[in-house]
Amino acid sequence: MIAASYVLAALAAVGFGYRLVAGPSLSDRVIGVDGLLIVGVTAIVLRAMQTGEGAFLPVALVVTLVSFISTAVVARFIEGRGR
Amino acid sequence: MTGQVLALFGTALTLVAAIGVVRFPDVLARMHALTKASTVGVVLALLGGAVTLDHPNDVTTLLLAAALQVLTLPMATNLMSRSTYMARGIAVHVDNIDELAEYRALEEVEPGPEDDRLPRHRTPATGVRPSGDDSGT
Repeated sequence: MIAASYVLAALAAVGFGYRLVAGPSLSDRVIGVDGLLIVGVTAIVLRAMQTGEGAFLPVALVVTLVSFISTAVVARFIEGRGR
Repeated sequence: MTGQVLALFGTALTLVAAIGVVRFPDVLARMHALTKASTVGVVLALLGGAVTLDHPNDVTTLLLAAALQVLTLPMATNLMSRSTYMARGIAVHVDNIDELAEYRALEEVEPGPEDDRLPRHRTPATGVRPSGDDSGT
């Protein structure tokens, strides 16, 4: 069942990566990055569930915080710039 | 077992969010798909990990990460959608009801000292950008 979760997360990563590469505006690329970070957090949690060892879980916490801060900063950047 | 089922549901919701992000035609629709589905998805995955793992350190870390996702992901997407709306050069399609445009149209008019055109339930917050700031910086 963990393997099925890995497959679903990998497919989601492909979708977000497509939006990151192809997105016409900067907001689309930010959406792609945000989704990829979410998939990364999910992958860290799945790995911890598989091995039963939670050494990487603080990384998931930090990635959550960095994701929020980066999105907020890019939002302030887009607001005056456009495109 | 329960945790694995939760994680499977969470990753399935993340995949739904990814499909929406790929297929929706508009920036705001893509943001909607991402934040609606994947907030629940990542929180379900984190809760699945919290159910599965045993050590209290791991459980508290996962619960804190889940709480932070719930708090920050809608807020970040709100910031992004607002600045996408404000930015020039990004095509944004809003249907009939556009409350932000109405509010900004009210802001464009210089409010007098005894002005009551602003709706009372939407008093302008401090730090609202002054009108005529569309020239860009």
